[in-house]
Order: sequence, then C-alpha cells, then structure tokens
Amino acid sequence: MAQNRRNTYKEDEYLEEPFNIRHLLRASSYIKRYAGKMSGALILSALGGIMALFAPMITQRMLDDAVPAGDLKMLAKLAALLILSYAFSILFITIRSKIMVNVSQDIIYDIRKDLFAHLQLLPFQYYDDRPHGKILIRVVNYVNSVSDMLSNGLINIVLETLNLIFIIIFMFIVNVRLSIVVLCGVPVLMIFMMWIKNKQRIAWQKVSNKNSNLNAYLQENIVGARITQIFAREDENALIFSDLSKSCRGTWMEAVRYSNLVWPGIDTISVLVRAAIFIYGLLVMKQGEISLGVIIAISGYAARFWQPIMNLGNTFNNFINNVAYLERIFETMDEPVTVADASDAVTMPPVKGEVVFENVSFSYEENKEVLHNVSFTVKQGESVALVGPTGAGKSTIVSLISRFYNIDSGRILIDGQDISKVTLHSLRSQMGIMLQDSFIFSGTIGDNIRYGNPNASDEAVLKASRTVCADYFIKLLPDGYDTQVNERGASLSQGQKQLISFARTLLSDPAILVLDEATSSIDVQTERALQTGLDRMLSGRTSFIIAHRLSTIRNCDRIMYIDEGGIVESGTHDELMQKKGAYYHLYTTQMEDIA
Amino acid sequence: MNTGNGRFPKGRIAWLWENMEGRHLLYIAAITGTVVYNIMQLTVPYFSQKIVDTFLSGEDAAYNLTYRKDYLIHLLVLMVSLTIARVVIVYLDCMAYEHVSQEALFRIRNILYDKIQRQDMHFYNIYRTGDLMTRVTGDLDAVRHMIAWVIRVIIESVSLIAATMTFFFYMNWRLALLLMITAPFIFVIIRLFRKRVAPMHASLREKFAGMNTVAQENIAGNRVVKAFAMEEREKERFDECNTDYRDTNKKTALTWLTFFPYMEGIADLLSVILILAGGLSLILWPDLMTMGEYVAFSGLIWALANPMRMLGNVMNEFQRFSAASAKVMEIYYSEPEIKDREGAYDAVDRLKGEIVFDNVSFKYADGKLPVLKNISMKIRSGETVAIMGETGCGKTSLIHLIPRFYEPTEGDIRIDGRSVKDYTLKSLRTNIGLATQDVLLYSDTIDGNIAYGDMDLTRKEVERYARYSAASSFISRMPDGYDTVVGERGVGLSGGQKQRISLARALAVKPAILILDDTTSAVDMETEKQIQHSLRELDFECTKIIIAQRISTTKSVDRIFIMKDGQIAEEGTHEELIAKNGYYAELVRLQTGEAV
Repeated sequence: MAQNRRNTYKEDEYLEEPFNIRHLLRASSYIKRYAGKMSGALILSALGGIMALFAPMITQRMLDDAVPAGDLKMLAKLAALLILSYAFSILFITIRSKIMVNVSQDIIYDIRKDLFAHLQLLPFQYYDDRPHGKILIRVVNYVNSVSDMLSNGLINIVLETLNLIFIIIFMFIVNVRLSIVVLCGVPVLMIFMMWIKNKQRIAWQKVSNKNSNLNAYLQENIVGARITQIFAREDENALIFSDLSKSCRGTWMEAVRYSNLVWPGIDTISVLVRAAIFIYGLLVMKQGEISLGVIIAISGYAARFWQPIMNLGNTFNNFINNVAYLERIFETMDEPVTVADASDAVTMPPVKGEVVFENVSFSYEENKEVLHNVSFTVKQGESVALVGPTGAGKSTIVSLISRFYNIDSGRILIDGQDISKVTLHSLRSQMGIMLQDSFIFSGTIGDNIRYGNPNASDEAVLKASRTVCADYFIKLLPDGYDTQVNERGASLSQGQKQLISFARTLLSDPAILVLDEATSSIDVQTERALQTGLDRMLSGRTSFIIAHRLSTIRNCDRIMYIDEGGIVESGTHDELMQKKGAYYHLYTTQMEDIA
Repeated sequence: MNTGNGRFPKGRIAWLWENMEGRHLLYIAAITGTVVYNIMQLTVPYFSQKIVDTFLSGEDAAYNLTYRKDYLIHLLVLMVSLTIARVVIVYLDCMAYEHVSQEALFRIRNILYDKIQRQDMHFYNIYRTGDLMTRVTGDLDAVRHMIAWVIRVIIESVSLIAATMTFFFYMNWRLALLLMITAPFIFVIIRLFRKRVAPMHASLREKFAGMNTVAQENIAGNRVVKAFAMEEREKERFDECNTDYRDTNKKTALTWLTFFPYMEGIADLLSVILILAGGLSLILWPDLMTMGEYVAFSGLIWALANPMRMLGNVMNEFQRFSAASAKVMEIYYSEPEIKDREGAYDAVDRLKGEIVFDNVSFKYADGKLPVLKNISMKIRSGETVAIMGETGCGKTSLIHLIPRFYEPTEGDIRIDGRSVKDYTLKSLRTNIGLATQDVLLYSDTIDGNIAYGDMDLTRKEVERYARYSAASSFISRMPDGYDTVVGERGVGLSGGQKQRISLARALAVKPAILILDDTTSAVDMETEKQIQHSLRELDFECTKIIIAQRISTTKSVDRIFIMKDGQIAEEGTHEELIAKNGYYAELVRLQTGEAV
C-alpha cells in the first residue's frame, strides 16, 4: 500500500489486518521449486520413522520370547536386527537432513534474491518515503527468520499430520468409545489455539514494527554520527534509542507471553485426556465391557496421539511468529513498480541527443504540481543551463529526462522517441547524470570511478579522472586508485567526492549529460581547469547543467530560467542580459555582490 | 582477525554474566527451575504406571477397582496436578529466561549504541554502516539466544542425564556403568566438531555482515544505481554475497551432518547395549538384574538419548554465540581515541569564541602526506573569517580540528586560551555550531531537524532560525509547513533547501563559534545574499568561520585566509588581497569574468 506520508523511526508501519491467504500461496511458489527434493526428504523421514518403530517391537520380542526361552541365538539375532534398523534409520535421516539443509538455504536465497531484485525496480519515491533501515531489515533479518518455517516446518506438518491420522485409525480400530474420549480434547485445543493465535499474531506484528523502528534509527545515526557529535546530542540520542529498545523488549515480552503458552497448554490438555481415559475406561464403562489390553493400548495411543499434536503446535507457533516477517517481505515484493517498462517497450536506439518536452506537467504528491505545462526543445549537441531559485523545479526537470518519475501529462521525447515507450535500462544507460549528493560506495576509488562502466581499462579511468582534475589528489592517496573508501568517505572532502563522481559519470560515456549542482563544492579554479577538458568531451553531446555559480553556466548555448514550475525565460547569456528580466536581475546581483 | 578470548578484558561467559546485572538471582532461579521441571518430567510416567499396575494388570486389579476407587481418584488427581504444576513451572521458567535475556539484550544494545555514537572518525572509516548494524542486530540476537535458549537446553540436557543416571545407578549400577562407556565417544565427537565448526561460524558472521553492507549501500545509494542503470550489476553483486552466505550456511550445517551419524549411532548404541547386556543378564545371570529393572531402564533410555541428539544443535548455537559475541564485544570494549581527558574542563558558561591555531600540523591516520602544515592563526572573538582554497587543500580538515573530530599531529588549538583537549567534548561541541558540507538530515519533521541540537526549542524560535537561513519561505509553502516529514538524508528537498535547513539547525544552538563549511554552495545567489545579511544580524554573538567558493560570500568578512597545500598562503581583507594580486585576486577575476 502506498503511504501518503513519509514514514520515520517514530511511527509504526501500516499493518495489513487479517492474514491474507495470498501470502501462503505466494510462499508455496517458493517451495514448489523444491517439491521433488522435499518429497524425497519426506519419504526418507517416513522411512526413518518406520525404522525407529522396530525398536519397541524388538524389545517386546526379547522380553516375551528370547528371555523366557533363554535363547541366546535369538537374542543375538534381535540385537543384530536392532543395529540394522538403527543403521538404516541413521542413513535415511542423515540424507534427509542434508537435503533439507540445502533446500532451506536455497529457499532463503531465492526469497532474498527476488526481494533484492524487486527493490531495484522500485522508484525513487519508495526510497524517499521511508527510512532506509526499515527496508534493510526486510532484506537481511526478516528473510532469515522465515526459512525454517517454509522448509522444515512444512515437512513437519505433513509428517505429523500423517502420523496423527495413522494413530487415530489404529485407535478407532481398538475401541471407538475410548477413542472419542481421546478426541474430546481436540475441540478444547482448537478453541485454545484460536484464542492464542490472534493474540500472538498481533503481538509478533508489533515486534516486527518495533524492531524496524529501531533499525531505522540505528542506521540513520550511524550514518549521521558526525551530526550527533557536532551537536553533542549523544545523551539525548541514547535516551531515544533506549526508548526504542525498550519498546522492542516490551513487545517481545508480550509476544512470548502468548507463544510460550502453546506448549504448556497442549501438555495440560494431554494429561487431562489421559486421566479421562482412566476415569471413563475404569469407572464409567461397565466391568467386562472393556479389556485390560484395550485400556493399555488406548492409553498408549493417547500418549502418542499428543506427541504429533505437540510438534504441530510448535510448528504452528513458529509459523505465527514468522508470518509477521513473511507479510513484510511479500508486502515489499508487492510494492507496485510505478516506473516500469511498458509492456510493448522497445530498446532505445543509440541516442543522438535531441530532447523535447511537450506540455509536461508533473507532481510528486497529488494536487501539488511542481511542473506545469513545460515545453521546450533542446537540439542535439546543445548545452543548456537551468537556473533559478532553489526548489523551482530544475532538478525535477532533469530527473524526468531519465524517467526517474512518471509525468502526469504531456510527453518527453528523445530523438523523437517517447521515453515512456522504451526500456528503462536502454534509456538510462545512455544518460550520464551527476546528482547533487555524490554517493561513494565502499570499495576502491578505481571501483567507484568504474561504477557505470565496470570493464573500463585503467587508461580510461586515468583519462576520465584527469579530465575532471581528480587525478592529482587521487595519486597522493596512500594507495592511489586502489585506496579503499567507504560510503561515508570521511577522508575525502566533498569536493573530492564530487570529482570522483564526475569522473564516474564521464567514464560511462553518456550520450546526454546532466550535471545537477555537480561542481558546487569544487573550487572555482579547479572547476575552470576541468571545464577545458570537459568542453572537449562535451562537444557534440547534449548536456543539461544546473548551477548557481554563473561563471559555470555563462558559456552554455542556452540558459533557461526556471521558476514556479515553468520556464520563465530562455535564451543565450547575451539575449537574456538584453531582455533585462529575471536572469538579468540574477546576474547583476551576483556581479554587484562581487564588485 | 583473531577471535580468541584473550582480546577482551573478560571471557564471553563472564561478560554475559556481567550484563545480566540485577537479574542474577532470577537467572539462577530460572536454571533451578529447569532442573526441577526436568526431574518432575521423570516422575509423571510413574503415576500412569502405578495406575496400570494397581487397577489393570496387577493381581488384585479387579479388587482394587471395585473397592479402592478413592485411591484411583487420588492417583489421577496427583498425576494431573503434578503435570499442571510442572507446566506452570515450565511456563514461568521460560518467561524468566526471556525476561533476563531481554534485559541483557536491552543493556548491551544500549551500550553498543552509545559506544558507536561516541566513536571518532577513525572508527567510522574502518567500520561500514552495514557491518555495524549487523553487530547491533543479528549478532546481538545470537547473544540473546544464548541466554534465552542455549543455556536452558544445556541445563535441561545435563539435568535430565544426571537425574536419569543417578536413578540408573541407584537401581542397577552395573548396567548403568555399562551405559557410561559411550561418554568418552561423545566428548571426542564434540571436541572434533567444535574445532571444525568454530571457524565456519566466524566466517558466517563475516558473510552476513558483508551481505548486509551490500544491501545497505544499495539502498542508500539507490539514486546512483538508477542514474547509471546499474540494477543488473547490483543484482550480481548482491547475488555474490547471497550465494556466498548461503554456501557458508550450508557448509556449516552440513558439518554437523558429517558428525551426526556417529552421534546418533552412539545414542542408539545405548538401546543396543541395553538389549544385549540386559538380555544376556536376564538369561544367564538372573540375579544381577530383575525384569522390572530392565523395563525401567528401557522406559527411561530416551532421557539419555534425546539430550545427546540435541547436542549438535546446541553446539552449533553455542559456536554461533561465540562468533557473534566476539563481534559484539569488539564494539562493546572499544574506546574512541578522542575522548575526555581525565579532569577535563567542563565549560558551563558560554565561551567567548577566540580561536588560536598554534603551529598545527595534521595527517590522516592512513594518509601518506600531511594535510595541514604548521598552521598558526588567531581568530578573535566575534570576528568573521573566510577560508578559501582549492578542492582538497585542507579547509575542511582544518575546521574539523576545532570540535576535535580529529587530533592534530603537532601543535595545539586553543579556544579562549585553553587547549581544545582540555575541554570536555560535550562542553566544547555545544559551543560550536557546524553546518557540514555533506548535508545530512534525519527522517523527521523539518521542525525536528532544525531543533536537533536543542529539542526544547519552541516553534517560534525554530521559525526565527529558518528565517535567518532564508528557509522560511519554502517551508511555509510545503503541505504541512514545519511538520512536513523529510525523508532520510532530506530526500524530497533540493540541495539548496537541505543546506538551508542544515544552516538553521546550526544556528539554532546559538553557538559561540559558528562554522559554515561551504553551506551555501547549492543556494541561489539571491537567497545567499539574504543569508549573508541575516548572519550579520544574528540575535547572539559568535565567531564565524565560513568556508566558501564564492567571492560574494566572502567579500564582506573581516579577514580572508587562502589555503594552499595545507598552508595559509594569503591573509587579509577583500581589498588587501585584491591589492596583493595573488590567488584571491585571480579568483575574483574568474568569477566576475573581467579584470577588476
């Protein structure tokens, strides 16, 4: 479900109320792939179980036949038989366990893979609307929790159910009335389980929510440690974290209060049933109506009857606990891919670089238009600067060219091709976008520059970084291009990070280049130096440049002044200066300031 | 990395015990409870046996059934009530384990969080976000599991085996002794298994953290991923970790399965011994053992075999705990290099804000070359200075030394005549307002973000600081105004808007020293002009250090420092530096596009 409000660590996520059977069907699709192996495991389990049944029979034979007869030979035979049955049992169980280790790990792998793949399809909006820690916990922690339930849990259910059916049949063969007494415990158990199930499910959903909040807070604060420290907020943050941690503890204790009831509950019902058999069999039924053997047999069956139920109860428990996680996982997988390839999407042919906006309107949130009927044409090879106040919609316009968002109305054409009709990959892989925040992945600097073009040669990397004047500082780092950096890249300055991501963009050899405040943290001199190299690379490529520093944009072929969701002015520097409009005003204030 | 015990001040178990502080008695009670209910479990079959013997199979069964019904009821009531008593104990016992484990988890988690948030930058360069998160979540859960489950199962197994063996020895010591011959084999298997599996668990934790890191960065960097259309590559990258983690998991689980047949064999051997030795003695030496004794042994043999069957699982969980606790303890016992020195001065009063750099040199721990070389400068209280220079010349490093994000390798920095090392970090940093280059906002309301440094700020004050940083106009245009929730890292806001909120945040703490690290680079000229204006008219006195690229920002400051290769190359007012005709004058020419 799409949320209108952004989620934070303070709020729980939306809960889908009644458990949806759809989730189970979904889960079964992961199991189906291993149906063969799992049936094999099931059969082996059954065989192993049958082998284990020999033991009491053998003991029986020994006591009844071998010992009274003093038959040593028979004793030896029985012992040999026992060893043999154990050997087979061990063999079957070992193979079964090996199969199941593989299956359960494969199932986690599959779910995680699909979840991650789906996340790659989700639009910016998805990531903008919730703390990243909440997404992360689903991919990593939740998936781990559900595997056992889907693999071994399922086998247990089948085996124990079969077991139960056999026991019930045998029981009825022995004595119908006493069997009914035994089965009287079942409705009681059902009511108990139904009652506890609802409590448990809600309780475990809360646990997952609180953990998710904690994870969100944790992740933000690891990333923002420097902010915490500069504001000396450690004590307050520790209190907030402690509160979140306390909610986790509270919900957990609430949940186990119910979960831990299941086993004692079954145990109590089982002993009551056993007592009922004795009372009914010995006191209620008339003498002679029932034989001694029957009571022993039924009481034996009754004991064995509750064992599978107890196991089923545990499986059920496990299931309820983890269903909360399963729901979250599938919810993420069901998150609509709003920006997706059209069903008849074609591959974008090699881009030449003409960009046309036709009456484009766009809003991030409903009824709040950011762009209104924007139309413009950028010729192949033209360089266009977008200027205007912050928040006017400049970044929005350039992000639409790569179709990071769907537009509300109008069309965006590249080389005459409507970009909503081509595959995202073929479109975006031809675009070079340098965003405002220059994210650095952990790895070497070389890896980061190669990000968009993993197979680029060392020479190409070197050339790109020389072009953007990053080479000189990279060479000074302890291991040069092999220096390890990480996400927060603390030992790189913001300007250096921008240069690296600049090199990264150039190396991907885009047909259309978008620089969104790409050089804001780079000093003017360095920018000047890289401009020359850049100009050479840009010649013939269409480019969009967003910058506030007018020295950066003055040389562009065209300048568009954006404000209030539309193009206010458009023209060359000289034209706009003559016009004495918004751009003129902007330019002269800047110059006045300096002079 | 060495995961041995010697690295930490305490062993793992002692460490666990320490973190159960305040719950020691409860935990001992829980362990006692486990012993009690396991012994009780052995007594329940006794009652059903007694009922069968007395009223069904015994010689006087018919008589008893007719005339001693009250005894039957008595036995039944005992059986039921003992079971219920046991069940209640089990429940309370489980809850006690949960309680203690949750308390310990709570305590350790809070300590870890606090350790992490107080670490210096060096630490953050080494540990990746995903790795740290794994330690606080997944690894810590293994620690919780140890307290809540593993120890309980160990106690359960030990008490069950001990009680049964005591009973066996009491009944028939010869047969009991014979069963004991399996014990040495069990120890050998456990030792071998442990040696094989321990490194696997350590590697499993690493793989898990690795996968977490890849996923974390993919989510945090989702814009870059999409911009480069690298989704396929990311999938491959994740697939590698995912596969690696899966395979290590399989390997670890399969390791037990190579030992499983032997362990299971030994568990089954108990029954074989029983049938062979029991049968032989019943046939050949009947006076050594009675039939009843044999039946009792055979009826209780599960109480020895089942715990043995659990051993593999328990050992695995124990090793998981060992590997995970090593990772947790690494953070638990970590100490930042930059911390309050003993007897540090806790500045209660607001500082005046005079800053002196005295021959300061600085080099990053992993760096080859010094970033700052012998910098000396004095910034007077209330002065506004600008620092300019090429990308990577050391501007940011210089100002990061003031709040002690790093320690200079040489020289000293003094504020109001006292070395920054002599202040408590808290009192030093509350006097400094820093708006960093890399704007980091929290997923919270705009109000919450601006009031980050002072949560008691009223809405009126928040609005005032937003006005100072020229943010109030765009904030008031947002759907929920100051209550608009901005996404993580302030997504949904433009770069300039984020910078303005970050500036308001820094102003809102009314610092004695305000440092703006290129804070207005993404702000348009007009807005910047407003900001410059309001910075001059703040409602509190402060020393201002402004790093900027734009001449318009730096033009009207008291003094300008030009840095080059970690040194101060030029110093003076706008006019003085233009007259000098050096770097600054060149900068002015470049930015105005004409000779001045």
